[in-house]
Amino acid sequence: MLELRNINVQFSGRTILKDVNETFHRGEIIGLVAPNGTGKSTLMNVIMNYVKPNSGKVVVNEKLQYKTKKDEVKIHEVISMMPDQSDLYNHLSGIEHLKVYCSMWNSDTDLIDKTIKELGMESYVKKRTGTYSLGMRQRLCFAMQIVSNTPIMLMDEVMNGLDPNNVNIISNILLKKREEGKIIIIASHLLDNLEQISDRIFLFKDGALVNSAVVSNGIGKSEISTVRVKGLSDIAKEILINQFPGTNVLPLSNGVSLIDVSSFSVEELSQLVVFLHDNKFTDFNFGNVSLGDLYTMFYIKDNTEINTSANAAGLAEEYIRLKQELEIVKRAMTIVARK
Amino acid sequence: MKPYFKFELSQFITNKKNIAIYVILLFLACFYALNIAPSYKPIERVDAKEIEARYTSRESFIQNYLNDPNRFQGMASGGLFIFPRWNELDKKRLESLNEGNLKKYASVTSKWYTFSNDLITSTGQYYYSPGYYTHGNLYASDDGNYGYSYSASRYAGYGEGKSKLSINVFEERTALQTLQRLLESYLPMILIICCVFLSVDIVLKDRLYPSLLKGFPISDWKKLLIKGAVALIGSVGIIIPISIGLIMIGIRYGFGDFGLPVAIYTFVGEPTYFKKGEFLNTSMGMYLLQNFIILILLFALIISLVLLASMIIRNEFANLLVGAMFIFNEIFYFKRGIGFFEEVENYPTNYVQVGQIISGYRNYIYNSSALTFDKGVYVLGISTGILILLIFVISKFKRYKLV
Repeated sequence: MLELRNINVQFSGRTILKDVNETFHRGEIIGLVAPNGTGKSTLMNVIMNYVKPNSGKVVVNEKLQYKTKKDEVKIHEVISMMPDQSDLYNHLSGIEHLKVYCSMWNSDTDLIDKTIKELGMESYVKKRTGTYSLGMRQRLCFAMQIVSNTPIMLMDEVMNGLDPNNVNIISNILLKKREEGKIIIIASHLLDNLEQISDRIFLFKDGALVNSAVVSNGIGKSEISTVRVKGLSDIAKEILINQFPGTNVLPLSNGVSLIDVSSFSVEELSQLVVFLHDNKFTDFNFGNVSLGDLYTMFYIKDNTEINTSANAAGLAEEYIRLKQELEIVKRAMTIVARK
Repeated sequence: MKPYFKFELSQFITNKKNIAIYVILLFLACFYALNIAPSYKPIERVDAKEIEARYTSRESFIQNYLNDPNRFQGMASGGLFIFPRWNELDKKRLESLNEGNLKKYASVTSKWYTFSNDLITSTGQYYYSPGYYTHGNLYASDDGNYGYSYSASRYAGYGEGKSKLSINVFEERTALQTLQRLLESYLPMILIICCVFLSVDIVLKDRLYPSLLKGFPISDWKKLLIKGAVALIGSVGIIIPISIGLIMIGIRYGFGDFGLPVAIYTFVGEPTYFKKGEFLNTSMGMYLLQNFIILILLFALIISLVLLASMIIRNEFANLLVGAMFIFNEIFYFKRGIGFFEEVENYPTNYVQVGQIISGYRNYIYNSSALTFDKGVYVLGISTGILILLIFVISKFKRYKLV
């Protein structure tokens, strides 16, 4: 078990982590989502004791804390952090790296061959890492942490530079490791993948950890939803707002606009669909609120300042509710289709 | 600790800078063996022609005097007291050389050096071999006195010992004697400079691979201890390229043996300003062993110093500077004879010239009796211990991070 108790970190007066309180349990994959420079790596560095928090503490297995250097060694026996691919020794081979990690943590040497096989590294693992591509280096770094076989694993940007096939392979290994009872904390920008494998996902907002699962609780009582439209122009947006006064339209950086239909009746939803259809916007859907939507809403909202009144947690709540309102939207679509 | 030791050792061995140091040393050792060693001209050579020339001119003087005693006056008569004994010894040296009786040559030569040295120092009318009187050498007589006493002692040792003798042995050209000569020259400095270069990045290189190394489950103190041990082993490894050069010399001039006598300048009793010490022989094996022990202690001290500097200053050039300051510090306070007034034996920087410490030459030029092997072990051991203690204390600071 890994506990973070009231962790606060400030650099040059700027708050990076604020009152972080969380407990991670065996057999959990934890996803950390946030834009660059918002504290994901800092949190991992705090867990590894590379960064001393201004206040708060990390507790491992209910008793171990970073009180002395001896404690640090004991904690590092159970927590490892995936190395950065730029830190590999270019003159050493992949297998030499794996052997070093395996021997340093005194783990089972069979893991080396097993991991090499699982990650499909047989063809290059004996070559010097200086000849490796970005993806090969990334796989090696992941493999190094796997052979260290610590009960708690921290992985920062683990999927960087990997093709979809390798993302899938690594995801499967992570799921196996979860089955073995390991705590795996992953910071990643591959939101879809993270959503698939994570048991819990945390977003960072102003240094605080926001649990997306907590936000989704208690939904199902209101009648709100979202329509995701691609390529909605400014003119079309104005027309839409004129036709549906008071409607919030949130354009995202990826060209998708989210239309807040939380206050719409079924009839209004139907009219909206007809409007979109009549204006040649055929690429729209009522799908579930994804982590991607959540991420965009969470972090892009402040930049666009579409909705200045809602706070981050409140906004997240709204969109998680969409999941449970999907059925209503589907009904609306059925009506439109019949028309 | 074992996996980390293996990891550090492999890093050390594959480090390009370290490989370059070993290769350069190998090149220098071969260059020395092939180029410099053959051109070595000792001041005290085994030169039958020179002996014969001296003998003949003295004999001629004696004969001339005997033929016409009135021809010479004053000081010249002094020659009559000295030359017969001198020539008697030179004659025996020539005869033993002609007979190939090197043991006899060694015994007589020892007596010759003792006689000559006593004569030169007591009368002030004669001179040592010309090789001591080099331009700018204000202490040529002192050096000559040392050289003659040293030669007298070692030749006595050759005569009494069981080692196989040869002209190369007499002229100290064999591999082990070359090593002995080099240890009393620039070799210790070269070795210590190499040690500094080998250890200069042993800590700081980790800054290039922080995420890979920071999380290792081993304490900073143990890491530093292992790094120090690896640097020490690597520094001792310098012996390998040097040995290759010595083997080349050995093939050409013979290897010598560990029983060969090495004359050690020793001060018996309390030193006085005008009193000189005497030479006592030790075996080559003991001499080299003592050199090796002091060198190891010096390496340990230098490495500890570099480790500490790496922890505090965190800059490789600063490490080099610290190492260089240690090596060359003696220049700033060295004055011939100053050892009689100052306790120079307590400065660890005074033991850099290892061979000269063990041979007693440093005592001779410092006019001290305290620069000994035992004192060296004590001073260097204590100094290293203090540095290691400092490293331990700093590494245990909660806020301290090695990488």
